[in-house]
Amino acid sequence: MIDSEDERALVEAAQENPSQFGALYERHVDRVYAFVLLRVRDRDVAEDLTADVFHKALANLRRFEWRGAPFGAWLIRIAANAVADHHRRPSRERNAPEALEALEAPEAPEFEDLARLFRYVDELPDVQRTVIVERFAHERSLREVAAQLGKTEGAIKQIQLRALRALRERISPTAHKTRGGDPKEGGHA
Amino acid sequence: MPDRAWTLDALEAALAGLPRPEFRARLRRDLERRARMTTMVDVSTITQTATPVLRVRDAAQAIDFYTRAFGAREVMRFSAGGSIPHARLVIGNATIVLADEGPAHGYPGPDQLGGSPVSIRLDVDDPDAVVDRAIEAGATMVLPVTDHFYGERTGTVLDPFGYRWSVTKVIEPMGVEEMHRRMLSAGGPPPDAREWIPEGYRTLTPYLVVQNAPAVLDFAKVVFGAQETMRSVGSAGGVHAEMRIGDSMVMVGGGAPELSWRGDSMATALHMYVPDVDAVFARAVGAGATVTHEPREMEYGDRECGFVDPGGNTWYVATSHGATYVPAGLGTVTPFLHPLRADAVIAFLTRVLGATTVNRYATPDGVVHHATVRIGDSAIEMGDAHGPHQPMPTMFYVYVPDVNAVYTRALEAGGTSLASPADQPYGARVAAVTDPFGNQWYLAQPNRVDKH
Repeated sequence: MIDSEDERALVEAAQENPSQFGALYERHVDRVYAFVLLRVRDRDVAEDLTADVFHKALANLRRFEWRGAPFGAWLIRIAANAVADHHRRPSRERNAPEALEALEAPEAPEFEDLARLFRYVDELPDVQRTVIVERFAHERSLREVAAQLGKTEGAIKQIQLRALRALRERISPTAHKTRGGDPKEGGHA
Repeated sequence: MPDRAWTLDALEAALAGLPRPEFRARLRRDLERRARMTTMVDVSTITQTATPVLRVRDAAQAIDFYTRAFGAREVMRFSAGGSIPHARLVIGNATIVLADEGPAHGYPGPDQLGGSPVSIRLDVDDPDAVVDRAIEAGATMVLPVTDHFYGERTGTVLDPFGYRWSVTKVIEPMGVEEMHRRMLSAGGPPPDAREWIPEGYRTLTPYLVVQNAPAVLDFAKVVFGAQETMRSVGSAGGVHAEMRIGDSMVMVGGGAPELSWRGDSMATALHMYVPDVDAVFARAVGAGATVTHEPREMEYGDRECGFVDPGGNTWYVATSHGATYVPAGLGTVTPFLHPLRADAVIAFLTRVLGATTVNRYATPDGVVHHATVRIGDSAIEMGDAHGPHQPMPTMFYVYVPDVNAVYTRALEAGGTSLASPADQPYGARVAAVTDPFGNQWYLAQPNRVDKH
C-alpha cells in the first residue's frame, strides 16, 4: 500500500525541511487515528491522541533513522505509547459512546482495515461522502441530513446505502459474492 | 488469512469512529505552523557553547549564499512578519546563527556600520576550491589564497552581506616560538616582548657602574627596600649584581673593596616613585646620601626630593598625587638622561630600538624640558642639559628580539661598537655599542625565545 522507496524519500525530505511533513501526515493520519480509536473507543480522545502523536513525530523527526523499520511502524510505536500514557492517567474518564462499542467486539477490524475504510470514505462521490460524514462523523440524524441537503429522508437513506455498498466493495471486493445476502441491502431474496 | 467479512452492520459500526474532516485539516495546519516555527535542532545535539550571530541585510539570501559558497546546511528557520529573526546554519561542525538586521530596533548590520570588524575563520581541506566557490557564489576577493609564515594557507573573501571569511588550511602545525623565529627571518615586526624577555625583567634595565658596588647595593636595600637577586664576579674581575626595586630591576657593576677591578664610574640619574617620599628621604639621609633637594611639591603634581648615593648616582624620588603614587606608564625606577639635545637622542632610539615618544614638552625655540620615550615595556625620561643637570652618560641592558639587526642599526645611526654580537655562556647573544651621546647599550637576545 505504501511504496517504501517513495516513503523513504518523503521522510528524508521532511527531515531536511520540516515543512514537507504534510505529505507524511496525509499518508499516515488515518492509520494512527484508527490505531488509537480501536484502543480508546472515543472519537474526541482519539483525535487528541492522534494530534499528540504527530506533534511528537514532527519534533523528533531527525531522530528517526531508516534502518529497515518503516516510518509507519515508528509512528505506531509513538501511538502505542500515547495510548498507554492515556490509560495510565487516572483522572481521564473513559466512557465509550454506545456507537463505538462494536469496535470492542471480538470481530472488530484491525486498525489497518479501519484506516483503509476511512480512506475510502474520502474517495466516495461527493454526495455519498457528505452523507457518510454527516451521518457518522458528525452523528447527524437522517432528518437533519435531509434538511441540510434539501432531500427527503428516504433519498438520504438510499444514498447512504449506496455509499456503504461502495465501501464494502472497495474494502472486501469478494465478500458480498461469497457470503449470503444482507438484510440491509433491502428487498433481496 | 482470508479477507475479513464486512457486513453492512460491521461497516456502520466501524464508521461510527469516522474522524471529522475538520479535525484532519486542523491538525495538518497545526503541524505545518509548528514545522515553520519550531526548531528542529534537538538541544542535546548542540555541542557548541558560543555561537556567532550574524546580522545581515537579507537573511534568506544569506542562507542561500552560505549554502552555495561554504556548503552550509540550514537546520532551522524561524520566519515572522516577512523577516527571519533567527535561522541556524551548520557548516562542518560549527553552528552559525543568522538574523535579519533591524537597525530600528538596535540591531544594525554591517551595511549601517560601514562593515564588520568580525571575520570568520573557516578551516577547510581545500581553501583554493572553497574560495573559488565563494567567489562564484558572489563573494569578493580580499586576499587571494597564499601560504603564510605561521604554517597556514589562507584566502580571505568578503561575502555580499559584509562579513569576511578567512578560508584556511593548516599546512604545517608549529608552536608560537617557531612562528616568532619565522616572522623575524621574514622581516616582520618583533614579537610581543612578554613572550621572550626573561621572567621578572623589562625591556630595559639601567646598569650602574660604580667603584664600590656592595656599598650601592647596601644603600638601595636600606633606603628603597631593594632585593638583591644575584651577585657574581664577571670576566673583567668586577662585580655584576642585580636588584629588584618595586616593579623594576637595576643592575649594579664595578669594583668592590676586595676586587682588583679598575674602571670609570658611570654616574646615572634615576627617577623613582615610592609610596612615601618623606620616609625614603629620611632613610637616605640616615644612610649617608648627599641631598640635592628636600621633599617639596613640584608644579607637575609630585612631591619630590633628590639625593646622591655613595656611588655618585642621582635619585629623584617622588610620590605622585595622582590616582596612584606611580603615574600611569612609568615603573618604579626610570632612567633619566640630561643630554645636550634630547631630540637627537630620541631620534637615535627611535631608529635603533623602535622607541616611541610618549610626551615631549619643549619651548618654542626647541629646548626640551621633559620628554618620555617608550622602548618595549620600559621608559626613559630626559630633558636637555641645563644648569647643574649636565649629561650623565648611562649604561643600559636592553633585551632585543634580534641582536644582529639592532647592532647593525646602531652602527648605522652613528654608534660605535664595544662588542660585536656573540653568544654568551649565560644564555644570550649579546653585543654592545656606545651611542653618539656617550650612553652604552648592552643588547641581549635570549637564546631561548620561549621563557619556559
